[in-house]
Amino acid sequence: MKAHDNSLKYFSLGTIWLWLIVFALLPFALVTLASFASHDDTHLLTTPATLLNYFQLNNAIYLKIFKQSFYIASTCTVICLLLGYPFAYTIARMQSRYKSLLMLLIIIPFWTSSLIRTYSMITMLKPKGIINSILLWTGIIDKPLPLLFSDTSVMIGLVYNLLPFMVLPLLTNIERLDNRLIDAARDLGANRFTTFRRIILPLTMPGILSGSILVFLPAMTIFYIPDLLGGSKSILLGNLIQNQFLIAQNWPLGSAISVVFTLILAVMLLVYWHSMGNKERDLL
Amino acid sequence: MMRFITVALGLLIITPLFAAENIVNVYTWSGVIPDSAIRQFETETGIKVNFSTYDSNEVMYAKLKADKNPSYDVIEPSSYYIDRMRRQDMLAKFNKAELPNFKNINTSFLNQSYDPKSEYSIPFIWGITGIFVNKEYRDPASFQRWADLWNKKYADQIMLLDDSREVFSMALRTLGYSVNDENPEHIKQAYLKLKELLPNIKIFNSAPISILVDEDANVGMVWNGDVFRAKKENPHVDFIFPKDGFVVWVDNFAIPKNAPHAANAHKFLNFMMRADVAKAVAIDNSFPTANLAAQKLLPADVRDSKTVYPSPDVMRRGEFQTDISDDALSLYEKYWERLKMGG
Repeated sequence: MKAHDNSLKYFSLGTIWLWLIVFALLPFALVTLASFASHDDTHLLTTPATLLNYFQLNNAIYLKIFKQSFYIASTCTVICLLLGYPFAYTIARMQSRYKSLLMLLIIIPFWTSSLIRTYSMITMLKPKGIINSILLWTGIIDKPLPLLFSDTSVMIGLVYNLLPFMVLPLLTNIERLDNRLIDAARDLGANRFTTFRRIILPLTMPGILSGSILVFLPAMTIFYIPDLLGGSKSILLGNLIQNQFLIAQNWPLGSAISVVFTLILAVMLLVYWHSMGNKERDLL
Repeated sequence: MMRFITVALGLLIITPLFAAENIVNVYTWSGVIPDSAIRQFETETGIKVNFSTYDSNEVMYAKLKADKNPSYDVIEPSSYYIDRMRRQDMLAKFNKAELPNFKNINTSFLNQSYDPKSEYSIPFIWGITGIFVNKEYRDPASFQRWADLWNKKYADQIMLLDDSREVFSMALRTLGYSVNDENPEHIKQAYLKLKELLPNIKIFNSAPISILVDEDANVGMVWNGDVFRAKKENPHVDFIFPKDGFVVWVDNFAIPKNAPHAANAHKFLNFMMRADVAKAVAIDNSFPTANLAAQKLLPADVRDSKTVYPSPDVMRRGEFQTDISDDALSLYEKYWERLKMGG
């Protein structure tokens, strides 16, 4: 029996390792290799090896796109946090029998592809779409709001797609909050605000941080949302990389951008990791 | 458990061996071939079609370039990409003996500079890039030239095709240059001209029918067939042949070199060139057909439509798109990339 358990353990661990090596490490190694290649009009990748692709990145336009993506992703993260925190808190603390149903409702959108849900947002936001039709019908506005193909619609799409990634880590984190600590704070005379600031907020910080990372990283690269909802003119880092591969056909430069981006993210994760105490690391 | 997994993995490996069956992989512009034509081919021949679409030549080219052994059997590049891919040895010569319906093709599209002996390409549909206006919101009289789109009044309102050659052609015509200009100085001027247009651009899109019908944009750059089709659902949309000149393009079928199912690809192409099939396809996509036999069979409303088949007088303002040198093309791409990134 024991031996059987072990073989299952090795099998599942082995599968995960194999998966990571084949689908994460190997592609990244290929991209890193490609980032040192040259390119010409007839070859996507060719010799000699060069650092030129990295020097090309020091370019006002690329820096502008990076700053812009950073700004959009940060705004998206803050909005997700402001919407997601009270939401997660309410669900996690509620005693209702509908609690598991409400948690299921957060998961259900994942059953449909994010791309299809983004297409459905077009139907919601367009001038003759559902939102504008309702507003026109109720007489709140007298001509359609230009919601679609703007920075607003990109932000709506990003928040809509990424909100669950903020809510889920917060939910698990808040559910584990020890009620006795809150009771003790109230007994010792703390008002609601002080209790929140001194007890609840610090204890849920790991959830806030992991939720923020899960929202921030995809928000910088999820290229189809600016493509579909922004009319192919709002550019995120993800679109820049996609353009290099599919339109400009400059694979080495696209690879170099990906590598630099991955490194920046890795540094951010390390900083975050070090800023936490051991106990918080365990909580993650 | 282990045994089950071994069997499952084994099955995964074996399946592709059985998959070497009667299929053809077709990769064309979106909106060109209706599903009904694909199904008719499957029923008549028993060959299964794996059908996928693209909406830019560049994407199709990049996919084929990435793999020496392409997974596609039939592609449909625009003429200037036929030239490029032919020169880069990416296309296979047709076996004309297997294409008896080739005789249906309008000879005025054959033996053009992009394929001097018509060995690599079959002209299939063609069209004109012009201006669309929704009459309910805009006066068509104020959009007779490309230059009219630059008016500051139209901030954040204009739709452009998501296609570098088309967008640059518009700017080059406004400046009085050819749409096939290779002069780096002229291309740069066109780029600067387009940069001025950026605040007016609301959306880049190459599959715009729902945008025209639902009035997501009410003025912009469009292909004539799409307007003809959109008009059926929204009669307010009008097509204008710009006075400062316009692009005439031709999309052609081709077979990539080393295509895995070349014989089936020939069968598919011969089927698509049959007059009754080409007619049904032309009615569905509303674009002018390069198949003369099919054109004669078209119902009067399409055949006589001035949007689809303009008079020779109007056609004189048109200019055929031809290939440009690699240097000029990469200059276009460089500026295009900058434009898409906000200048």
